[in-house]
Amino acid sequence: MATHTTKSHPFHMVDPSPWPIVATIAAFTIATGGIWFMHGGPPWILIAGFAVLIVSFFGWWRDVVNEAQSGHNHTSVVQHGLRVGVLLFIASEVMFFFAFFWAYFNASVPLINSAAHTTWPPEGITPFHAWGLPFLNTLILLTSGATVTVAHHAVRLNDREKMVFWIGATAVLGFLFLGLQAFEYHHAAFGLTGGIYPSTFFLATGFHGFHVFVGAAFLTVCFFRARAGHFTPNQHVGFEAAAWYWHFVDVVWLFLFVCIYWWGSAGYHGPAGH
Amino acid sequence: MLKKLLALALVAAAAVVSGAGQLRAEPANGEPTPWAINLQPAFSPVMEKVHDFHNLLLVIIISVTVLVLAILAYVMVRFNAKRNPVPSRTSHNTLLEVVWTAVPIMILVVIAIPSLRLLFFSAKPENPEMTLKVTGHQWYWTYTYPDQEDMTFDSIPIAADQLKPGQPRLLAVDNPVVLPVDTTVQVLVTADDVIHDWAVPSLGLKKDATPGRINETWVRIEKPGTYYGMCSELCGVNHYFMPIQIEALSKEDYQAWVKQAKEQFAAKDGPATSLARADRAD
Amino acid sequence: MAYATTAGHGEHDDHHPTGWRRWIYSTNHKDIGTMYIILSLVAALIGGVMSWMIRLELAEPGIQFFDNTQFYNVLVTAHGFLMVFFVVMPAMIGGFGNWFVPLMIGAPDMAFPRMNNISFWLTAAGLTLLVSSAFVGEGPGTGWTVYPPLSSIAYHPGAAVDFGILALHLAGAGSILGAINLIVTVFNMRAPGMTLHRMPLFVWAILVTAFLLLLALPVLAGALTMLLTDRNFGTSFYAVSGGGDPLLWQHLFWFFGHPEVYIIILPAFGIISQIISTFSKKPVFGYLGMAYAMCAIGFVGFIVWAHHMYTSGIGTNARAYFTVATMIIAVPTGIKIFSWLATMWGGSIDFKAPMMFALGFLWLFVIGGVTGVVLANAGIDFVMHDTYYVVAHFHYVMAIAAIFAMFGAYYYWIGKMSGRQYSERLAQIQFWIFFIGVNVLFFPQHFLGLGGMPRRIPDYPDAFAGWNMVSSVGAAITMVGTLMFYYIIWHTFRYGKTAEANPWGEGATTLEWTVPSPAPFHTHEELPVIGAGDHGHGPLHGGVQPAE
Ligand code: HEA
Ligand code: HEA
Ligand code: CUA
Ligand SMILES: [Cu+2]
Repeated sequence: MATHTTKSHPFHMVDPSPWPIVATIAAFTIATGGIWFMHGGPPWILIAGFAVLIVSFFGWWRDVVNEAQSGHNHTSVVQHGLRVGVLLFIASEVMFFFAFFWAYFNASVPLINSAAHTTWPPEGITPFHAWGLPFLNTLILLTSGATVTVAHHAVRLNDREKMVFWIGATAVLGFLFLGLQAFEYHHAAFGLTGGIYPSTFFLATGFHGFHVFVGAAFLTVCFFRARAGHFTPNQHVGFEAAAWYWHFVDVVWLFLFVCIYWWGSAGYHGPAGH
Repeated sequence: MLKKLLALALVAAAAVVSGAGQLRAEPANGEPTPWAINLQPAFSPVMEKVHDFHNLLLVIIISVTVLVLAILAYVMVRFNAKRNPVPSRTSHNTLLEVVWTAVPIMILVVIAIPSLRLLFFSAKPENPEMTLKVTGHQWYWTYTYPDQEDMTFDSIPIAADQLKPGQPRLLAVDNPVVLPVDTTVQVLVTADDVIHDWAVPSLGLKKDATPGRINETWVRIEKPGTYYGMCSELCGVNHYFMPIQIEALSKEDYQAWVKQAKEQFAAKDGPATSLARADRAD
Repeated sequence: MAYATTAGHGEHDDHHPTGWRRWIYSTNHKDIGTMYIILSLVAALIGGVMSWMIRLELAEPGIQFFDNTQFYNVLVTAHGFLMVFFVVMPAMIGGFGNWFVPLMIGAPDMAFPRMNNISFWLTAAGLTLLVSSAFVGEGPGTGWTVYPPLSSIAYHPGAAVDFGILALHLAGAGSILGAINLIVTVFNMRAPGMTLHRMPLFVWAILVTAFLLLLALPVLAGALTMLLTDRNFGTSFYAVSGGGDPLLWQHLFWFFGHPEVYIIILPAFGIISQIISTFSKKPVFGYLGMAYAMCAIGFVGFIVWAHHMYTSGIGTNARAYFTVATMIIAVPTGIKIFSWLATMWGGSIDFKAPMMFALGFLWLFVIGGVTGVVLANAGIDFVMHDTYYVVAHFHYVMAIAAIFAMFGAYYYWIGKMSGRQYSERLAQIQFWIFFIGVNVLFFPQHFLGLGGMPRRIPDYPDAFAGWNMVSSVGAAITMVGTLMFYYIIWHTFRYGKTAEANPWGEGATTLEWTVPSPAPFHTHEELPVIGAGDHGHGPLHGGVQPAE
């Protein structure tokens, strides 16, 4: 509470905030607007919902950043809590992807599911050639994993110029990945409605792509915060969260690459997919 | 509380001892009976084994429940604040803790062995002598006899106001599926719209009819008679009105029925399905 | 509701926000907990009315009220969802968890107070969507298990199922955030000396539950997302025509669904441990065994899901594995039951209302639990599957045992929460009405199930009439008990005596009893220090000293 100038514990008592209810109204609007849209209605409510959501995210995180910069709210104990929170959030995200991998293996591995397809990819599907664009994207993400680590070192050494550069580089690599994936989607030999293979392919890689976008946006915010001098060697939870999130996105991609692009096209010996 | 418990245990024990439904088994009639408190009587080897296993389980679960409730009752009487104003402070007893971990494990082993035996017995028939194909639709069943040149017919529930005397409401159909007794029948179950489930309690039959899958089960009916069941997977508005009726005939009667049925269901041209639907209309 | 009267004493509750902002913008774990409890009470009324409509229809054979049988299916679906996601979970985890985890571990609030607030509002938004779903178009007549293809666009073309999906998405997101919050609070905010092995068992229970939520709900979210895209964007995850598989849904749903049932019962275990220890005036017997039994239940809970799918056509070896794995859960659960009995053994038991509900819980849970062991056996489950035997099983363990724990928790803590004590006499009467009611309601359903009566049917063969009537009479008794509970709440706030800081005496040793009643807006602003004493339930026996 603002009224407590002296407190005898290291925790952060947060002031009342409008953002949770605003964000909920946004989510509710997205849900109902989305349903309306899916059942033939106009998209405006959905779009309005997203707009409010972005506003509330902006306001919410602006408050968090201000609290962090205030100097006394984010004690080392609070920082520890935030870090554990981020790790738990990532754990829940892992389980989200777990569902999509389950769908993929349920369709493709007869050992798991007696009714699975005996040929994979199913007949009529021309998959991507794993060692083309997907491999390039793998290299990009692996490189970005390295650059974000370099940035992390720079943060620890309090080398502002270096951290700004390497955070920026990581974000750029992230957006580059997204661009290439958009290109790949554009040249896919199958469409979303073409059966179980495209279903698993597009939802698994699509949600990954969405996470890359979130991670890259997060890094972009960190880029500006780094420039503004927000990160110090002993207070940079925001950056650390972005970095961990980025590693998580990276690892999910490795699984996607190995399981869907590589193993998933092994039965296929035609020309490169694009 | 204790009285209620005892009464309950007695009722349940009586059910075990008398084999409840079995007494009513005179004319082989596999259907639910009013106020029954146990499984329907058994008319197939699988269901007989289910009865045996269930009797074992009943003894075990009633004993466990009675034990827990007896201790509970004792504790309530002996250690209430009036009789025991000064509480003890014991909070550990390694021996006890080992015992109440080990004994349940042993009980579970006693359950698991017959359980797995029953599971593997019920899973696959030894030498099926014939095959019946069952297809679920919203909201009726289609039966196909691959051994009889794929003879196929639909089995449509009879509306309440058209029941003949003796036909139970929500259970009787126009064309029951007919099977011979003392014959091991392989049953293949599937569906062509949503998931249904082909179930006949007194024969120990229950298998999901899932579109895109052919599930296998089997039955060997021991007595001629009529056996009823109901669709056992929520399948839409008429889920409650999608009964299964099996007519079990002696082998000779069955052969006679096959002959007549082939004529009946083949005489009309076109797919049997639409015919049977038309049947229902009149 | 909580501070209407006696709040305002002491230096602790100085300025706190007032007016509507206090609630809508709240970052206070007690206010948010209170809102969760109110939400649960509202949802319980809706879900309860639906269940009584179900029992009214089933009182006699024939279609009584629902000529549109789809509406019956919708009621069953909505009843199941409401009770599970919007009555039990919000009350136990969001309500009592929010209120008492910080109080019991000596923390001034939750780790992320703002996130705490959005967890609540997302739950409320989910509730709104869920209730709406029953009234848009023809409603979701899919059962709470939402199996495709019945839930696909071909068989449920309206928007109702989409409302249901998004309701669960929102409530699920709220629960995941709530779980993160609870875990971080427990890991990071324990008062000095409050080691993990000294935490009260309620906190342990919530901790394990939070992990189950964190790991199980995202799988449901993934499954729901696939259902949503199947319905609206032409994917084929569950559609056979596109090479998909309806059983995929069942696996994913139950991979979430089985942990979900332990999400419901573990907090109940925690509540029961506190109550039994308090009213026996003894520390919990076998504290560590109790804590680790919950961890074991949580862990094994993740590897038994297909026991809901024994008739679906999965392989025989798989069924054998799931049989054995499922039965193993009886062992840690047995440890809990016997440890509760041993806690009472040698105690000096006060039969106050919370204790009565705890004893009722034991009775109900053991009956429900042992029928679970019957169902665990794939070799016999196929006879009971999708019959009222299963309905009886899960109402014993989930519905009424868990609800008993909630009633117990309410009576146990209402003095602390509101500063007003309930009327012991009324509560005892309510206990007996409810206890008799639920047994008359659900015990005969075992018989119906064994006799072969399927679930989810608005009409049944005439032979089932007898026990169905008995069951419906039980529902009517239960209805009286429920309405009386709402009366008691009103009565407590209107006429309740002022509650002392610790109304329960020497048995109540956890930290929440060291703060005044009602608990002031801010508590533990000065962190208590917990000395080495009795494990867990009795940390205070080592003495709480004010921080230096
Ligand atoms: C709170 C909720 C809850 C809880 C705690 C449980 C507990 C258990 N459940 Fe239950 N269950 C449900 C909620 C719950 N269940 C629901 C909602 C469904 C149906 C869903 C649907 O289809 O809609 C269901 C269905 C269900 C099925 C599927 C039935 C079917 O559809 O065919 C099975 C099968 O294995 C099962 C098993 C068990 C077991 C083994 C336990 C065990 O955890 C029980 C352990 C407890 C005890 C055993 C008692 C105490 C122990 C002792 C005193 C020790 C000694 C005992 C012995 C040695 C036996 N449950
Ligand atoms: C926790 C879960 C829960 C609870 C409490 C209940 C409570 C009740 N249920 Fe059940 N029920 C389910 C979960 C639950 N149910 C589920 C999951 C299904 C399956 C759905 C499906 O098949 O898809 C089901 C299905 C189901 C059926 C089967 C329908 C069918 O298959 O056709 C029936 C039929 O009798 C029934 C009856 C009842 C009755 C009469 C009550 C009640 O009347 C009992 C009275 C209890 C209350 C009214 C609640 C009291 C609580 C409070 C007052 C809150 C207190 C709050 C605080 C202390 C903070 N329910
Ligand atoms: Cu067919 Cu239920
Ligand atoms: Cu389960």
